[in-house]
Amino acid sequence: MSIGDAPLPVAVNQVWKQFGSTDVVADLSFDLQAGEILGFLGPNGAGKTTTMRMLLDIIRPDRGEITVFGGPPGVRHQSRTGYLPEDRGLYRDVPIIETLTYFGALRGLSTHDAHQRAQELLGEVGLEDALTKKAGELSRGMHQKAQLIATIINEPDLLIVDEPFQGLDPVNATMLKNLLVAQRERGAAVVMSTHDMEDAQVLCDRILLIDKGRRVLYGTVDDVRRAFSDGAVEVVGRDLPLDVEKLPSASHATSYDGSVRYLLADGSSAQDLFRELGDSSAQVERFAVEAPNLAEIFVRAVAGDARAERVA
Amino acid sequence: MTERNQFLRLLLLVARRDYLRTVRRRGFLLATLLLPASMAVLFIISSAVSMNAATAEPGQILLVNESTVALQPDPALAPDVSLLSRSDAEARLADGSAVAYFLVPSTWPSQPRVTIIASEQATTGRSIDALTRQQAEQSEVELLLRVSLLRDAGLPDSTLGQLLTPIDFSAVTTTGEPVTEAALAANFIVPYVFTLIFVLSIFITSGYLLQSVTEEKENRVVEIVLSSIPALPLMAGKILGLGAAGLTQVAIWLGTAVLALPLINQQLQLHVTLEPATIVLAVAVFCLGYLAYGAIFAALGALAAGQREAQQYSSFFGFFAVIPLVMTPVFLSDPNSIIVWALALVPLTAPAAVLEVLSAGSPPWLMIGVSLVIQVLFVGVATVAAGRIFRATVLLYGTRPNLRRIVAAVTARG
Repeated sequence: MSIGDAPLPVAVNQVWKQFGSTDVVADLSFDLQAGEILGFLGPNGAGKTTTMRMLLDIIRPDRGEITVFGGPPGVRHQSRTGYLPEDRGLYRDVPIIETLTYFGALRGLSTHDAHQRAQELLGEVGLEDALTKKAGELSRGMHQKAQLIATIINEPDLLIVDEPFQGLDPVNATMLKNLLVAQRERGAAVVMSTHDMEDAQVLCDRILLIDKGRRVLYGTVDDVRRAFSDGAVEVVGRDLPLDVEKLPSASHATSYDGSVRYLLADGSSAQDLFRELGDSSAQVERFAVEAPNLAEIFVRAVAGDARAERVA
Repeated sequence: MTERNQFLRLLLLVARRDYLRTVRRRGFLLATLLLPASMAVLFIISSAVSMNAATAEPGQILLVNESTVALQPDPALAPDVSLLSRSDAEARLADGSAVAYFLVPSTWPSQPRVTIIASEQATTGRSIDALTRQQAEQSEVELLLRVSLLRDAGLPDSTLGQLLTPIDFSAVTTTGEPVTEAALAANFIVPYVFTLIFVLSIFITSGYLLQSVTEEKENRVVEIVLSSIPALPLMAGKILGLGAAGLTQVAIWLGTAVLALPLINQQLQLHVTLEPATIVLAVAVFCLGYLAYGAIFAALGALAAGQREAQQYSSFFGFFAVIPLVMTPVFLSDPNSIIVWALALVPLTAPAAVLEVLSAGSPPWLMIGVSLVIQVLFVGVATVAAGRIFRATVLLYGTRPNLRRIVAAVTARG
């Protein structure tokens, strides 16, 4: 699959992967365009990390096809990819510049270029004085910056980041977000797995939600939100019930300053909820249908909401 | 760049890094230089001891006779013995001109006991030299006493002379080469030390591999590395780089041994030689042993949840490696025995067993040849199995894969 002459950075077609008797990834298909960030969402154990490892040829699928830049994934693309795994670290007793030079060389740079590039990037993030420090001597924040440099040292065309903001302090999290956006702007394709729906909503062009290895949602953030546009209702009033047992049309209720946000149950409409509130002792002052945020969509899609099928 | 060249480039990159990182470690430098340093120290000590031993001859021996047997001074048999009265001997101790005298009591010879009366000065801070001298003095006194008894019994001097002339035993080889006591000891010690050094270096080098894998796993670096280089070339690069570090160590040790042997031979009157063929074979056995144990240790590093656990597993395998060392007497008595054959054919004991038979002299070449073939086959199987286990388990953090998963990894295709 390609746009014009340029092959897609990633194309995944009906891929399966089994560990023991469990399907960790099942019939998964998606693609990734150059210059976009694909948010890879899903609960723990959904198969996100396994899929990412398959994109990098760390593990291989049992069935289906994965192409990276038009060919099978593997060592031939290592100079064009960057990877920030969920479990990440640095050699503790080695000077940071040596570790980054080594990682750069593994990513296809010459030792000289890797050393120079590492030096430049360390300077850019204010770590020019830490070149010869060992990872064990760095603060947590410095450590995180060095890991980010290791990921982009070769200016990759495909960046795969697994839970990139996990464990980062706010300063480094912001720095990484800016960095991901900058990578996208220079034309790199980014696959980003995250549990933070707010980040996904802000950063991602498209999202892919998987659960138990299967694709549940796939599309642009706007398309997904539109599909669930009737999914949430914001109600202002008095004596609004929070117990959704009394409101068959609602699946979930959350109270905010004087208002209650109801998520509509699968197959129910805002009119049904309005009628049920009218039948209760509640006094409704304002009733507004709203698009749910990604976090709410995530919860509902994983719970099997039929709306998900519109963008699956 | 073709994929094969890319693999090779990455493999060499990993090998170079692991090699340089290892040989620059303080622990490596210490271990590598420890052997030459200890050999130098031993050489100096043995030289000093032998020089001192040459001067440890008896001084003047004061002998007090209270027995009924007449003791006559005999300058030929006991040139250092002076007979004197007890009061004179006590006076010599008191004025410090002597530190001890021998007292032959009235109960001698019915009770074969002689007492050494020593001053306070003689009993404190005694050196090895003093102890050696005392032994020489005792021998001289004993000789005088026995001769006196025999003369007292009426034995003619001619018979006495024959009786007391020490018999000179000498051992020679079939080619007429003299065999000294040191050479006899060397027959046992040299194969043992030679094997120990190589087995030690196999384990030290395999230990570096274990450490390297567990370190990358514990530091959570391995996944970043694996996203650049596939598991098998990564493992191969590590094995190559750390094997080269091990060979560097062995080369330094062997070089030291080759340089030091002539000096040791001269010092201890030995004829120990290191044949070039023995060295070449020993290095080949080292490589095979390292590859076999290295593959096992790389898999252990991937399987273990941490460094401590990995070391516990590896010590279990270390037990196999030292079995031939424990059984050195069997190797010396019959290098063609069933036990030696069995140890030479079992892959885990084979490296040490072959090294022992190689260094013990007159090696059974058929056994060595069969053993090397088995070791080569085992290395092939172990490397593939270890590579598969490494690939399947190295990314399991904090958990231990069960046996079923390990078997599945080993038997997996591709």
